[in-house]
Amino acid sequence: MNGGHIRATIGDISGKRQSKSTRILLTGATGFLGIHLAQLFIKKGYTLFILARPMDECSPEERVYKLLDWLDPDWNQSRVHIVSGDLNCSDIGLCPADYHQLASSVDEIIHCASDTSFSERKRPQIEKANVENLHHLLDFAANSRCCFFHFISTAYVAGKRRGSCPEALVETQTFFNVYEETKYRAEKTAAKRCREEGMRLNIYRPSIVYGNSCTGKTLRFNAMYYPVKMLVFLKNLYHKNTEEQTSDGAEKMGISFAPDGTAHMPIRIEAAASRGINVIPVDFFTAAFFAIMESAIDGDVFHITNDKITPVSEIINYTQRYFHIKGIQAVRPEDFPSESRNSLEILFGRYTQIYRPYMKDERIFDNGKATAILKATGISCPVFDYRIFSTCMQYAEAANWGNPA
Amino acid sequence: MNPLDHIPEEIRLTAARCRHYAMCKIDYLDTGLCPPAKKTPYVGYFPQGRMDLCDALAKGLIPVTEAAVDIISSCTLCGSCDRQCHFVTGMRPMPVMQALKAFLSDFQKKGKKVAVIAEDKPLKTLKGIVGEKWATNDPAHLIAYANDPFPLAERQMPGYVVLPGNADELVEIVRYADRSHIPIVARGNGGSVFGFVFTRGIVIDVNRMKKIQLDPDNWSAVIEPGVTSFELQKAVTQQGYRVNTAEPAATVCANIVCTGLFSTWANAYGVGADHIVDMTFVDRHGTVFRINDKNAPNVFGFEQAVLPSPGICTEARVRMHPVTDDEEGILVPFTSLADALFFARDISRRRIGLAVGILGGHYLSTFISPTESLAEKTRDIFSGILEMTHVVSVIGDKYARNSIKQMVPCVIESNTLKMLMLGLPRLAGSGWTDIVTGLESDRPAYEAVFSEEMLPLLEQVLAPSPETLAAAVDEELRKFYTKLYSRPHMTDMVWLAMFRIVSARMSRHKHMFAFLIYVPLDRVDVIHDLIASFADIAETHTIDHDLGFITPIDFGKRGILEYDYYIDHTDSRESEKIQQAMKDIEPMIDKLSAATKGVKFLKYIFSQGCARKENFLYT
Repeated sequence: MNGGHIRATIGDISGKRQSKSTRILLTGATGFLGIHLAQLFIKKGYTLFILARPMDECSPEERVYKLLDWLDPDWNQSRVHIVSGDLNCSDIGLCPADYHQLASSVDEIIHCASDTSFSERKRPQIEKANVENLHHLLDFAANSRCCFFHFISTAYVAGKRRGSCPEALVETQTFFNVYEETKYRAEKTAAKRCREEGMRLNIYRPSIVYGNSCTGKTLRFNAMYYPVKMLVFLKNLYHKNTEEQTSDGAEKMGISFAPDGTAHMPIRIEAAASRGINVIPVDFFTAAFFAIMESAIDGDVFHITNDKITPVSEIINYTQRYFHIKGIQAVRPEDFPSESRNSLEILFGRYTQIYRPYMKDERIFDNGKATAILKATGISCPVFDYRIFSTCMQYAEAANWGNPA
Repeated sequence: MNPLDHIPEEIRLTAARCRHYAMCKIDYLDTGLCPPAKKTPYVGYFPQGRMDLCDALAKGLIPVTEAAVDIISSCTLCGSCDRQCHFVTGMRPMPVMQALKAFLSDFQKKGKKVAVIAEDKPLKTLKGIVGEKWATNDPAHLIAYANDPFPLAERQMPGYVVLPGNADELVEIVRYADRSHIPIVARGNGGSVFGFVFTRGIVIDVNRMKKIQLDPDNWSAVIEPGVTSFELQKAVTQQGYRVNTAEPAATVCANIVCTGLFSTWANAYGVGADHIVDMTFVDRHGTVFRINDKNAPNVFGFEQAVLPSPGICTEARVRMHPVTDDEEGILVPFTSLADALFFARDISRRRIGLAVGILGGHYLSTFISPTESLAEKTRDIFSGILEMTHVVSVIGDKYARNSIKQMVPCVIESNTLKMLMLGLPRLAGSGWTDIVTGLESDRPAYEAVFSEEMLPLLEQVLAPSPETLAAAVDEELRKFYTKLYSRPHMTDMVWLAMFRIVSARMSRHKHMFAFLIYVPLDRVDVIHDLIASFADIAETHTIDHDLGFITPIDFGKRGILEYDYYIDHTDSRESEKIQQAMKDIEPMIDKLSAATKGVKFLKYIFSQGCARKENFLYT
């Protein structure tokens, strides 16, 4: 996809990487994917510059180190440089001297920083973070020695497309939310600018990322976790109030509890019968990212997705089994007229409204290019089975769903 | 009780923190008044005066006098002050009362001499007018009239305090003072917070003049100057009427004269001369006049200047208003002040609703929270999680409320507010806020939370009950709070808006320094700039601050805005800060007022409160 005067040959790039002398600038390291990538590159022995900003009276170092400690208490600090900056600023928050110094130090950039909100109300903030700030970083890249720009996008730039979604830059007009739209626009922006500047560009498009498949470790409990969290919250709340006999609310909602504590919660969830949710664990994402980055030196687009989608009904079954709940079922949209909904369904539906498009997703992500690389390196995406689900939920419960007790 | 040879510093500090809101002088929680004060209503006998006495004795400002002995001895340690004071300030005065008793016990045990203050000629004359019991020069009484939390006023001990029993006695005192060239000030309920009621001469405390006479045929009530807002509202409510009143402990007459009396009801009932049918004053020379007399001084006009009051009001005939039995409160949440302003103005110009006020997050959370820490948590949840930065509070009949529901996507009805109030301690618990935080809706979170179908969940989360609410207060107060909040009126928005007993909670955090400015309600830019200027100045001087409220007036053409600074009035550094801030604020408002029609600083309306609103709103 690159055109114009390519800044570095494949040989230059490979050579540097093999000798571990490639210096990488990483953004978004205080986020879920970013910190995992930071850990991986530190482990692989790369020199890493991490651009981060202070927040809530925490310095950039404190923020990044805290997360790295959380992932691996024994991580090696020797090749990590925390750069206090801010992508909101056109000079990425650096004084001219620091800007120049960083620009002359960087060989490749991994842009992970992103606003993952879906809400239309937050459009200005999301556009700023996902599009405008990318311009600032691309300006910096253009002024630097950077020869390779790695952009973390999303498989859902496919928008409201049905069926096959190619592993390439394609034209799309409509989206389910502003996040999808801005990531799509960002891809276009990155592609154009990298082409103009002779920088190679890899676009990595993960589907929905959950915690580590072996440990369940995660930073955020949104996306796949949120509807489950909501169900568990409802179960616990009504169970407590029933036990304390503070109200007859459970009965009004049609919720009942068996003597062994199993909850009967009559909730139908709208889901497409033939499709499901495409989820990947974060450990697969990082491994796949690294393998693709190492192999695809020419620059391209890759879907980091799961070949086996998980039907919503399966996640419901896992949830019911793990949390001792009965009565939840997936139904086709046509079998679920709004006038037939009970109070609990209205309530659950209202709180999970934003995730509805993903529960009845009909997008199929082509991943031939990524799969070819991953197969060659022995990396495959685990099926999201009950073992992984329970590992993730064990972690979620132990972490109190991300809330300090 | 073990005798104490001195008053411990931590007790003195508690005493010094008294906000002088005089809420202990009205029986607003049906706990009964401090028993000795009920019989002898010098401020000194009320908990407020006892706090001042404790501070003064601890600092050695006054000796142990006969009145001090009487005040301390008369305390029955009944605990009413603890309940009353905690409700609004979170403070517990009982340790102060106990320390005073222990201090006196030690004093008497050691056979120390009680100071006897000699009577002089003016005191004898004053006693001749009002009777032996109702005039004094004893410092233990005088100290309760010598200062207030206003940080820019020095303590000033009066020579005498006198409590006239009727208008004739009051007039005679004024004439004597005039003849003798003794300065006087009149004191309403002793709830002074602005430093205006100090003198070296005579303080006339009107607390014995509390007659209320309703005249339903003329839709008015005739009141004496010692009648408080709470007492008048209670009297007229019992007969099915309403008056517009301000802070519950403030006297109605003084409030009209000083500020023109405003509240959220000003939207329907107006300000200034709108409240009164007639008033009788005695001027500084002892001349009595009724403002309706054609030859009386013109109190209805307005001059842009700081002027003295027309005199001391000895009687007022105030307007009563009709009430319908379908009135209820409703809160309309907003994510921005601009939207809240537009809505408040819109309903005011459409004549929808009676009491209307835009409240900032701090106001609402403080009003409904029984403790300061819960108020802080609530505020964070309201603005941070529910995205409800401002609410427009409306009291209206069913037609008004139905109209409002058609105008906005979300309202918090009175039953929901009641649920919130009684379940507030659980708002932050149960992981519910985390669930709401994850709600990535295209609409503000409050719309989902307060929508009709979501209310059963909210009820489950909050488990609202008087017991749930009481769990937020100290264990020994829980029984009292449970009983208190079992009364329906404690969660009734209409009652709370009429009696305003929670408004004094605004000073729970720190003493509140309120700036009041009339504003053109259609000029959102002016209002924003004004608020930004207040915020900037406060930040520059490191003063806590927040928007108080904005109420539309006169069909939304104008509004009154309150911006609040918060300071620890016992800390001299904070006083210094506010002094410096005032140097920035006054020119800022004067400049804005000169350049913008409709902007008027209340400072200039002070003491011209009888003026017609048209004379200061549209000039």
